[in-house]
Amino acid sequence: MWKLICFFLLFSGTVVAQNKPLLFNVDDLPQTLMSNPGAQINFTGHIGIPLFSQIHLSAGSTGADLYDIFADDGGNINSRIQETMRNMDSRDYFSVNQQWEIISLGWKLDKKNYLSTGIYQEMDAFAYFPKDPAILANEGNSNYLNEPFYFDDVSFTGEIMTVYHLGINHKFDKRLTVGARAKFYSGIFNAESTGNTGRFTTYTTPNGRNVYRHEVVDLDVLINTSGFAPLKEEEGMTVEQATAELLSRSFFGGNVGFGLDLGLSYILDEQFILSGSVQDLGAVFQRKEVENYRYFGAYETSGIEPLFPDLDENDEAIPYWDIFEDEVDRNLRDQTTNQSYTTWRPIKANFAMEYGFGPAFLPCNYLSVKKVRYMNLLGMQLSGVKRPKGFVYAFTTYWDRKINENQRFKLSYSLDDYSLTNIGLMYTRTFNKFNVYLAANNLLAFPNLAKAHSASVQLGMQLVFNN
Amino acid sequence: MKFFSFFLIKSTGLIAISCLLLGCAKDIDLSQREDITLSPDLQVDLLIYNINESDFEDPNTGNLKTRISDTVRLEFLDDDYIQKDLFSVSFYFRHINTFPREIESKIRFLSESNAEQFSVNYTIKPGANGNPITTEQYELIEEDRINLVRRSIKMVVELEVQPGTSAFEGELDFASKGFFSFEF
Repeated sequence: MWKLICFFLLFSGTVVAQNKPLLFNVDDLPQTLMSNPGAQINFTGHIGIPLFSQIHLSAGSTGADLYDIFADDGGNINSRIQETMRNMDSRDYFSVNQQWEIISLGWKLDKKNYLSTGIYQEMDAFAYFPKDPAILANEGNSNYLNEPFYFDDVSFTGEIMTVYHLGINHKFDKRLTVGARAKFYSGIFNAESTGNTGRFTTYTTPNGRNVYRHEVVDLDVLINTSGFAPLKEEEGMTVEQATAELLSRSFFGGNVGFGLDLGLSYILDEQFILSGSVQDLGAVFQRKEVENYRYFGAYETSGIEPLFPDLDENDEAIPYWDIFEDEVDRNLRDQTTNQSYTTWRPIKANFAMEYGFGPAFLPCNYLSVKKVRYMNLLGMQLSGVKRPKGFVYAFTTYWDRKINENQRFKLSYSLDDYSLTNIGLMYTRTFNKFNVYLAANNLLAFPNLAKAHSASVQLGMQLVFNN
Repeated sequence: MKFFSFFLIKSTGLIAISCLLLGCAKDIDLSQREDITLSPDLQVDLLIYNINESDFEDPNTGNLKTRISDTVRLEFLDDDYIQKDLFSVSFYFRHINTFPREIESKIRFLSESNAEQFSVNYTIKPGANGNPITTEQYELIEEDRINLVRRSIKMVVELEVQPGTSAFEGELDFASKGFFSFEF
């Protein structure tokens, strides 16, 4: 058993991720099962208010905020853009994630098993800052002679999907709880471009044929899309029509995929709990409405060379430009194809350790086998999301305080790529069976979001049963 | 304990509600987005050639042909980004000459109907075998004359050898580039 636990926690620790740390390990909230299907839980059933059981929004940018660009300081916006672009690098990224729970419900099957299921819609977009192409477009090559512009910097993923899921939370023994959640993905839209290569350089050539030599080497840029082609072809399509078209794919109409969440929690002793989870171990098979755009090749030129005389052997002007264009087209090619492709979901993982203290009480419910609940939990959590260039990590410490049987808050401090001052707060309250919760990260930034590098909010309401 | 719970509830609620209600963007002016422009400055090679005395020979008679020319269409000058967003061009022309005579260089930019829009004329200084002489010429076309570039589609390079007594032997190397400034 220990080997299994160690392996799992190690795996969690190396793949780590989580974009809703405030809802992790909150045993009063059914949403905790969505980030760790093996979480300790403290309820016997739940029914989410349809469409309102969870609304999650998060957005972030590691390199720039709105103030960097749009500061109302009388300066020139284009200078600020140039300065900001120069300060960012190709590992800076922009990220938007949104989840909207449509249906959520669960119930205790017996003393050991809790079944939960539901449907949610998710949009996830992640793009690294394409520094070199952006600087080439904004400033040109004049200030960057002999410096390559790398097309490798182009790297992004974006998807919209509906997720149907069914999970089981199993109390293995009095210490160990394990869980798994099977997911069926119904893809609505996908676009991705990763693993690109190529560079463009303008070399000064003091001893060469011309002043410069322009060189494109090893170019291979591929953009895969699914669900985009029909929207592109429909000229004059209104936003409403496009939305209706996208929504029609929510219900098994688009590209499908499968995934798995795994999780566990282990009570080391009465006060120490370890937990870990891996989410979205899965893929979507993009087979319908697929279009792939590929740009590839290599070419170098120092200009067009007229041959003198003016006319060729047939007394016709030599079409130097056409010859040049044909040569470029032969060497720098583009292709549009309809080849199926597979996208791996951004794996998320979490590992947390928490310590309970303060007055403890026992929940008086014969179905609940959890022994002791502490009023205070101090915890730390390592989380991360797999992105095209590697894992994006966050480290969170938190104080989780049960105010009484019906109220609880969680105060967190996170270190991540966005900020060193990310303080989060979650508050949940239950009125009889009706539960509401609200969580927000990076609270210090809320008074002026223009200077925030990230912000995230989760809120929802549901019926939670304890008997 | 009761007071503590009460305090926690109230302060937690107050902080959460305050933060969310106060969540707004300050000290920024989003209307500046209308002023956003891309302003790339591009260095682009244009024409090159390297010719010797054989290029000045009349193929029929074998005699010296003192005037030769060639025309290259620069189709990119007709593209949208030139027509709408180009605001200045600085041309650079360089000849390296080992012919022992002056050569008149005329670089003309013509429209589709062969109407001359502008031309750059200069004298290439004579060189000698083993002593190449470089002649450089710049031509700046700013916003007030940029339409001349926009209307051009052909670049004609003409060379006229000037009279002289020394044998007409040597090489003439030509390089040219444009420094194109855009504002999108």
